[in-house]
Amino acid sequence: QAFPLPSLPRKQPTVLVVCGPAQNGAIGLVCARHLRSFDYEPTIFYPKRSPDPLYRDFTTQCEKMDIPFLSYLPTEVQLINDAYNAVVDAVLGAEGTEGTEPCAPILATLKHIRIPIVSLDVPSGWDPDSGGPGGLSPDVLVSLAAPKACARSFLGRQHFVAGRFLPFDVQRKFELNPPEYPGTECVVAL
Amino acid sequence: QEEAQAIDQELFTEYQFSVDQLMELAGLSCATAIAKAYPPSSFTTSQPAVLVVCGPGNNGGDGLVCARHLKMFGYQPTVYYPKRPSKPLFEGLTTQCKKMDIPFLPEFPTEAAFIDELYGLVVDAIFGFSFKGAVREPFGSILSTLERVTVPIASIDIPSGWDVEKGKADGLQPDMLISLTAPKKAAMHFTGRYHFLGGRFVPPALQEKYALNLPAYPSTDCVLQLT
Repeated sequence: QAFPLPSLPRKQPTVLVVCGPAQNGAIGLVCARHLRSFDYEPTIFYPKRSPDPLYRDFTTQCEKMDIPFLSYLPTEVQLINDAYNAVVDAVLGAEGTEGTEPCAPILATLKHIRIPIVSLDVPSGWDPDSGGPGGLSPDVLVSLAAPKACARSFLGRQHFVAGRFLPFDVQRKFELNPPEYPGTECVVAL
Repeated sequence: QEEAQAIDQELFTEYQFSVDQLMELAGLSCATAIAKAYPPSSFTTSQPAVLVVCGPGNNGGDGLVCARHLKMFGYQPTVYYPKRPSKPLFEGLTTQCKKMDIPFLPEFPTEAAFIDELYGLVVDAIFGFSFKGAVREPFGSILSTLERVTVPIASIDIPSGWDVEKGKADGLQPDMLISLTAPKKAAMHFTGRYHFLGGRFVPPALQEKYALNLPAYPSTDCVLQLT
């Protein structure tokens, strides 16, 4: 929704999906697969693969969908800017601390790119509660289930919530007061 | 029928999809298609009440997922689920429905007229594309009742009781058919108003291998209206 196919600046609808070692990365893998169904051309960078069987299956599904997996992330930022229309940051989520290898060098590179970044749940490197300096500045944030406290510090262009799957009693219990989702959409722009 | 089973097999063995993943996407497609064809505002009953009849296999599982999403889309679904497999997948789906306050009927309404009065739509999630042979009770009686219902019926994948390739002229005549993955041969005998395609998860390589020639889904929609 934030980057419809006709709006992309490059001739090919390329997107780089950078996946961390834990759940946030796994969500990135699923995202990449659906992007492929939507006719984007995702490429994945997934340096530290989880041994979790579910996440391994997600990897297989992507490989069998002919989604390429990079063997290394270029440190030369211009190469990323030139090759892709946008980057999906699925490195760290609400559990994240920046220091976890190999995340630190990845985040160091991503901080300098000029193409838009879409962060899943928490911009990688941010403290999930306080936000705070030293992390990425994404263009788009997709909050999963409900926005985390750090979302207050988000300054980018669009903030989506993807939480329509939450049962009503969970929403009430945590006083989430979610916005209305349009029609049958599973995301809503805040 | 064999081709549909072969595609399913490849999705599970080659692509390592789990039944859970595909069932969730299938059920969501069904709810989305229903919401497009029968928006809550179109119901003549005071609430957008929907009866979801779930069979003993995967088609029933699709129905449970569909019921949950219908609830989230603002409908008031009620489920009838007489034969429940004791597998974690189906037990989990049942729990998810119950925790969303979706009632499960203890008995099937005895008269078609009762269904017509209480519900604005019936979802037929009884038998799917693996169905072969005779219809076992209680589903025979259920299908007889459904054949006399006048409110619209939306069938998931195959109108229940139909031969998967040849159809069934004197069987259920649903108003809507949601074909999952690709339309089955029986769809040629479908005479209802709405035919949707759902299950937007078939990898391009599989589509080519089986020459599915599926039309393009609109943008990020998980359903495509065929008629």
